Amino acid sequence: MLIASSMYILVALGLAFIFNMLGILNLAHGVIYMVAGYITYMLAVKLGISSWVALVMSTAIMALFGVFIEKFCFRPFVGNFNAAVTICIAITVVLQTTANILIGTSIVAIPAFMSGVFKAGPLSIFYDRIVTFVVGGILVGVIMWFVHSTKAGQQMQAIAQNREAAYLQGINVHWVSGLACALGCGLAAVSGSLMGALMNLGPFSGDYMMVKALILVILGGLGSFGGVVIAGLVFGSLGAFLPVVMEPLIAEAVTVGVVVVLLLFRPQGFFGYEVEV
Amino acid sequence: MSEKPPSTPTIGRRKWTELTIWVVVIVILSLLPLFIKSPYHLHIINMTFIYIIATVSFRAIAISGQFPLAHGAFMGIGAYLAGMASKWLGWPPSLTIPLAALASAGIGMLIGYPFARLRALYYALGTLFFGIAVTTFIVAFPHWTGGSTGLTGIEPLFATASKVTYFYFFLGLTVFSLAILYRFEFSRIGTSLKAIAQSHMVASSVGINEGWYRILAVGVGCFFVGLAGAAYTHYNMVLSYYTFNFMATLWIVMYALIGGIGSFAGPIIGTAILVLIPEFFRDLKMYSPYISAGILIIVVYLMPQGLVSLPRLIRSWYTKRRKGERIAHAS
Repeated sequence: MLIASSMYILVALGLAFIFNMLGILNLAHGVIYMVAGYITYMLAVKLGISSWVALVMSTAIMALFGVFIEKFCFRPFVGNFNAAVTICIAITVVLQTTANILIGTSIVAIPAFMSGVFKAGPLSIFYDRIVTFVVGGILVGVIMWFVHSTKAGQQMQAIAQNREAAYLQGINVHWVSGLACALGCGLAAVSGSLMGALMNLGPFSGDYMMVKALILVILGGLGSFGGVVIAGLVFGSLGAFLPVVMEPLIAEAVTVGVVVVLLLFRPQGFFGYEVEV
Repeated sequence: MSEKPPSTPTIGRRKWTELTIWVVVIVILSLLPLFIKSPYHLHIINMTFIYIIATVSFRAIAISGQFPLAHGAFMGIGAYLAGMASKWLGWPPSLTIPLAALASAGIGMLIGYPFARLRALYYALGTLFFGIAVTTFIVAFPHWTGGSTGLTGIEPLFATASKVTYFYFFLGLTVFSLAILYRFEFSRIGTSLKAIAQSHMVASSVGINEGWYRILAVGVGCFFVGLAGAAYTHYNMVLSYYTFNFMATLWIVMYALIGGIGSFAGPIIGTAILVLIPEFFRDLKMYSPYISAGILIIVVYLMPQGLVSLPRLIRSWYTKRRKGERIAHAS
């Protein structure tokens, strides 16, 4: 439960970075998650590189890709919702097709990051779950620290609050946006690789993750980072406890239904800044 | 001798030109089955018709400034209601199709009522999640809907399996829907909707009841997309929730945006191009989605107003070049 939460939060934070900086809802985020997982798989399985190294490499690749996307695909369309949606779909189609061509539609699994089972008394948990959770937790902590305490992080908050004022303050918005995109894609990449080891990775994993990340970003609030984490914890718990009480499919339906109702009453999310429309 | 005010033939002439174009197009389309024999090609054209109805009905809502990112889901609502009524209640298609369309409109208006208080981006996000909720619900009750394995055993619309019959049916349905949607847009209601889109405050100040009109727009839009969905059900006889998921909604939005959301013909052209051109490149098999992505990229960077603006762009590019030559000669 907590493991899944931390992964969802990672991906959602990545999405939040891009959305807060550029005002663009990166619909291609799910594909980036999936592609990163596939890259890790290819590096780890086809080339025999250790899973950890493959993880770092694929994260670096996707982060660079993030910078590329920011400069060429997002920057021309800031503020133009229609065009942003179009270009995101184009990116999604291109990446999915490329993955389809290179790997095919089979479901793959990345070799575990750490194998074996951890036994402590009555508990026995797989090592890789622990690792995933620990890495996820550490990353979330690092990101939150980054956003609150470093200069770049505070600049990002400033841009999220008021883009024009940030320009006026001398913040190099383009550079920071590029950094945010890189971070965002990198987070999705880490999550994709870790989840790819934990669960199987297929061509549709990205879509599923996209939905979850969207829920977290929107409920957490447009413009806030902490809200995403809290929303992630809340919904992670919901997602874990509801299937115990009712059938899993109905639990999912109920969760999404709750999201819809919440959106009706508080569309800007729990901690978001009011976006001018 | 009193002067009669000069009549204004230009407006009338333009309307007649448009009407002639539509009539010519319809006549050409009706003759298509004489030239296209392959059932597969006819099937593609039938699907294009269905999506044209869906996309133009999306635009009918979009002209009021709302961006319903649940349109694919409403197509699914119409489709599944028709399918379930046909399979579990045994109703004939002539009953299920109009009733499913009405139900889709009803649900749309019911949902539109609370959503009408949301503006722009929030409306888009809210409807996005409603769309996801619909697909989740479809999967969650597999006993009724067939869940992820799909719904089968639905009665076909026509007893013959010939695609030609369906072609004429869909041609007629599309012409019917487009005619109504066209009249809807260029009526007082349509003008009020466009006023709301431009500035809801000014529109309210002249007495336009924003909420009521927005719900009406959603109702009309959802009726036609539900109609398209229900017709699809009885054509395809098999339903899968994949056809109506979020990506389907996004593609409908794409068809409208690429064609040009500012004009009535835009979504029609967009749908036709985005459905038919990749079909020409079908030989590329795995690589064919690149063509669709390519179209998206070209249009979004070069033609922000959509494909309908292409003649205008070419003309302005041409006049710019001519003016450039004149300036060069003058100096």
